Amino acid sequence: MRPLGHSTFGLAMLVSLALTLGAVGIGAVSYEVTHEALEQQLDHRTATETRALLAEPGSERTAAIASGISRREAIPGPEHLEYLLVDAKGHHLAGQLDAVAPQQTGHAEFLHYHDGRIGQSLTTRLADGATLVVSADRAVLDQTDRHLLLLFTTAFGTMLLLGLGGAWTLGALTRARLRKMDRAALAIIGGDLTHRMPIDGSDSEFDRLSATLNRMLDRIAALMSNLRQVSSDVAHDLRTPLTRLRNRLDEAATGTGEQRDAAIEAATHQADELLEIFAALLRISEVEGLGVRRQFREVALSEALLELADTYKPDAEAGGHSIETDIAPEIRVLGDRRLLIQLAANLFDNALRHTPPGTHIHVALGVEDGIVRLSICDDGPGVPDAARGRLFERFSRAEQSRSSTGHGLGLALVAAIAAAHRGEATLLPGPGFGIAVSLGPTVA
Amino acid sequence: MRILIIEDDQETRDFIARGLGEAGHAIVTATDGRDGLFQATEGNFDVLVIDRMLPVIDGLSVVRMLRAGGCTIPVLILTAMGSIEDRVEGLESGADDYLVKPFAFSELSARLQALGRRLPTTQAEPNRLVVGDIELDFERRLVRRAGRRVALQPREFLLLAELMRNPHRVVTRTMLLERVWDFDFEPKTNIVETHLSRLRGKLNAGFDEDAIETVRGAGYRIRGE
Repeated sequence: MRPLGHSTFGLAMLVSLALTLGAVGIGAVSYEVTHEALEQQLDHRTATETRALLAEPGSERTAAIASGISRREAIPGPEHLEYLLVDAKGHHLAGQLDAVAPQQTGHAEFLHYHDGRIGQSLTTRLADGATLVVSADRAVLDQTDRHLLLLFTTAFGTMLLLGLGGAWTLGALTRARLRKMDRAALAIIGGDLTHRMPIDGSDSEFDRLSATLNRMLDRIAALMSNLRQVSSDVAHDLRTPLTRLRNRLDEAATGTGEQRDAAIEAATHQADELLEIFAALLRISEVEGLGVRRQFREVALSEALLELADTYKPDAEAGGHSIETDIAPEIRVLGDRRLLIQLAANLFDNALRHTPPGTHIHVALGVEDGIVRLSICDDGPGVPDAARGRLFERFSRAEQSRSSTGHGLGLALVAAIAAAHRGEATLLPGPGFGIAVSLGPTVA
Repeated sequence: MRILIIEDDQETRDFIARGLGEAGHAIVTATDGRDGLFQATEGNFDVLVIDRMLPVIDGLSVVRMLRAGGCTIPVLILTAMGSIEDRVEGLESGADDYLVKPFAFSELSARLQALGRRLPTTQAEPNRLVVGDIELDFERRLVRRAGRRVALQPREFLLLAELMRNPHRVVTRTMLLERVWDFDFEPKTNIVETHLSRLRGKLNAGFDEDAIETVRGAGYRIRGE
């Protein structure tokens, strides 16, 4: 058998047992205290009565006491006190107490009456050798004791039963809840990846655990679906360059001289392009895995961005574009410098390659509510509405034609880098094309 | 140069060895980490090419052991893993350069040339570089060609400096991106070409001879004479 402490029922059982034991202890102490107090009360009563008898008026002490006893016995009272007065030789003088006078003077707890009752007595020796016994019937005390015992036993019994019941209920509820979670987990193992842990809205610890597990499952599901999407996209999108590569190699195999050299060069170019796609895909998945956060350092973003804008300016001017910067100074952010540069470079590349000459590109960097925000916008033709939704996904291209340059991976990487920096990339409303990126809190 | 190649994949090993051998280098090969480590400490090599994943002792451990033993021969790590973390780990192990497979042979060759002639890292970079009639002064950020002052933008200055650190040797586009721009990715736009053509324009103004030679399919080379 498993140790009790390892199941909820056992645990609750142990707690309720401990509580019952404690209650029994408290009961025993209160019983003892009450019992003693009652005995003291009886002693007090016999002592008071003895003193009253000894103080009876009269010239002859023993006779006076005897008459006092007779007088008291004549009036039936609720006192339950009984008296006995014997002379030095043991002859009965007065009192109806039906017992042998104790030899010992003083208080005695148990004086056995001839009729079987028991009294608590006080024995006093008088000056002439006579013995006075005042005794109180212990029946009152015994009755109280019995009542107390009954009370305590009932209380403990109830406690134990309630404890048992509580433990069982608690165990059953826990087991039922865990069984549900178990079933959910088994369903997920069985292949139903949309299954989730049950939540009953009680905000109990089970609910909170279930909610956390569900968040974990959601994250895993998102990664899984991402992976599936990527796998099928990769398979689909690699077919085109692979086909081109194959065609070039066919040309090279059949061609001669200059034609063959050109085919080989084109094939090499195709292979490079494929490798580039792989590198971009790997980079995206690496960044999405968030492992890059381990390399995060403080990055002087303002400077880096200014340098980058300067780097792109000649190229932009050569293509008839203009770059305008609005970069707040001294902005620092915790991140990976090279990734942040790649993010901005991708946006520059996009703006330069997909807009006609004469387009203005506007770069802005600032801090809003403590969050670093970067935006790179242009006043070019923008993207069709249909393309806006999928823009940050892998292999999504604004242009429908497959022949256009680019693999639709640049913005996917931008989104992944922003997410790794605890930020988000969003498409700004037109006209033109603009991406805003939040990059987490600024570093003081 | 005497080059040791530690690579367990036969095809890659033969490809590199054949190419470098044809280029006139003396090649020694090893197929696992332990053998490679032994060869590296015994032979007198100018540069080591070490694959990251090796049997017996892995590539990074080989580099660490060599460095721990006081060996300062330049090391280029080859790897099939191109992640950011791998690169950081590779360079932290004490390697001098890092090349991700698959690579173009010209890229490997250019990097090995640059490594083999490199000054030991302990030695400070000189304040002045002179190649042919071009003179570059780091301290005053001045460039002169045949005594005539050439005004350059900061980025063009760094670009020229990188070319001049490798006189008569090809510097690839990727090497320039890494060393001048600190990019570890290939931008889609021709930033290297554009900056180079501007640099070239400024350097060649008033001269007949082109100071920078474009090596087709490989990279750029500063012309000595």
